[in-house]
Amino acid sequence: MNENVMIICRCEEVTYHELVSTATKYKCSARELKLRTRAGMGYCGGRTCRTMVEKIAQSMGTNTPTETNISLKVQPPIRPVSFENLGRISK
Amino acid sequence: MTERIIDHPILGKMEDVNHVTFSFNNRVYKGLENESLAAALLANGIRTLRYQEESGSPRGIYCNIGHCYECRVTVNGQPGIRACITPLKEGMTVESSGQLKIKEKEV
Amino acid sequence: MFKAIIIGSGPAGLTAAITCAENGLDVLVIDEYMSAGGRLLGQLYEQPDGSWWNGLRESKNLYTTAISLGVKFHFNTSVNNIEKRNNRWVVYTEKGTFYTENLLLATGAAESPVPVPGWTLPGVMSVGAAQVMTNVHRVKPGKRGVIIGVNVLSSVIAMELHLAGVEIACLTLPKMNSIANKEGNPSQVLDSLLHVSHMATSPLIRYGSKLLKNDFIKNLGIHFYPKKGFKMWNTPIQLRKAVIEIYGKDEVEGVVVAAIKANGEVVPGSEERIQADFVCIAGGLYPLVELAALAGCPFFLVEELGGHVPLHSEKMETPLEGLFVAGNITGIEGAKVAAAQGRTAGLAMAIHSGIKGLDTEIRHSMDMVKQTRESADIQFHPEIEVGRKRILREWEISQTSKQNHEALMG
Repeated sequence: MNENVMIICRCEEVTYHELVSTATKYKCSARELKLRTRAGMGYCGGRTCRTMVEKIAQSMGTNTPTETNISLKVQPPIRPVSFENLGRISK
Repeated sequence: MTERIIDHPILGKMEDVNHVTFSFNNRVYKGLENESLAAALLANGIRTLRYQEESGSPRGIYCNIGHCYECRVTVNGQPGIRACITPLKEGMTVESSGQLKIKEKEV
Repeated sequence: MFKAIIIGSGPAGLTAAITCAENGLDVLVIDEYMSAGGRLLGQLYEQPDGSWWNGLRESKNLYTTAISLGVKFHFNTSVNNIEKRNNRWVVYTEKGTFYTENLLLATGAAESPVPVPGWTLPGVMSVGAAQVMTNVHRVKPGKRGVIIGVNVLSSVIAMELHLAGVEIACLTLPKMNSIANKEGNPSQVLDSLLHVSHMATSPLIRYGSKLLKNDFIKNLGIHFYPKKGFKMWNTPIQLRKAVIEIYGKDEVEGVVVAAIKANGEVVPGSEERIQADFVCIAGGLYPLVELAALAGCPFFLVEELGGHVPLHSEKMETPLEGLFVAGNITGIEGAKVAAAQGRTAGLAMAIHSGIKGLDTEIRHSMDMVKQTRESADIQFHPEIEVGRKRILREWEISQTSKQNHEALMG
């Protein structure tokens, strides 16, 4: 198995090659990289691949350094919620 | 098959163990009450807990503390349960989730 | 409604809970794990005085104390969201919604992986996962393992696995790429290990005292860039090899390693196979700040602290009223520092809820955090002090600008 098909986002099975080539092509930030590839948008909410996606964007020089912000936005819920529970919370 | 560490040079002997019976993919196993489901399965030599929804690639525990969701299984009919943070109880029915229509490993 | 709610029952959260309860606050602790202790649970190492730091026992003691003081616990409960409504913090969990005026985020750290081809195979786990399996659940992660990533955390856990009778074929580097550019570079890995060991009050030497002093440091000195590697607790450490692939049909069967140059470049044709039934990935820890981000807390990227950390004061307050932080969410350090921070946070929460006469105690607790840090057994980043100062300076700047703003508006 070679490095290009190496998976970075385990939930959505986004590969290293896909991330590096997207970052190169669009010269994008970590956040745009996430939206374009779906890396970090799966079941775990990006907890596992977040730092790797950020590093790829940084290594391409395409991530605008946001020293005072976390580059990949966090959105609720940070744990998957079942529809049943979602209903209960909104009551 | 992996082993339990019954005797540990610093931590000593395992105490207060209570054996319970549970099933994984329709097969019956024994484990220790209140240990994590992931630990009980590993002690029975089971590493593959689910198959990725799209590709069907096999997955097992990764972080073991509830962060990565790689070990999610169906417990007593409820899907998306993290085996690494779920205490084992007598009679639990556990099933691996997976790619639809993928051929299950021999049951 | 609780006087105080604490998210996370690790060393920081438990100590804060005890401190709050001692000062008469009713406290709820929420954790998604099955029992109390957090990352403290799996820790097991020999201290400089020869006694053993047993995380399981420490966790149990803290938990028992908290229970005796009337602290309530909700385990197996994940927090999905937090927000401020009508001057109260609202904590949403899968088991109900809770309210408080004093909320502490003590959510700890998550592991940052170094990816390796084949790392999704069952049998590959984070190094912390192997630690918990071995020391907490007492199940061997496998018969024979390979640890990818050589750093303070992975060396400590390798020793713990060895202690439990788990064979480690070797500790070695990941192949260098855009993600693992530091972790896959032998010179940089050695530098960071030596940096830690060269410090006047060397934590690596103090940590695991005799074992490390004899094997690890000495070997690092003797075999600078050792081509053949060296051994620590009978475990080969290979800084001049890297794993280029984890192989196996349905589960881990082994790894392919290759020789690498001092700059991390792979030497073609040097590939060899090492059989193993489990593999640990050790890329280090980063502060788990999700809830602080949802709350709208300002952040600063401080590499010395392990990544983005929420802005906070020495009293562990955030700029958001009634929201506090303690432990690894504020920067990667050992459990003893986390506990010391937890005490400060607990006192700050008690003061915020209206308890008088705690000024001396909280000042003392802040001194204790510093003292604990200076005498820490384990240090993950050599420049931790620099990082701590940086965040405190940012706090002062934010307070000054807030005062100026208020003066202007007043």
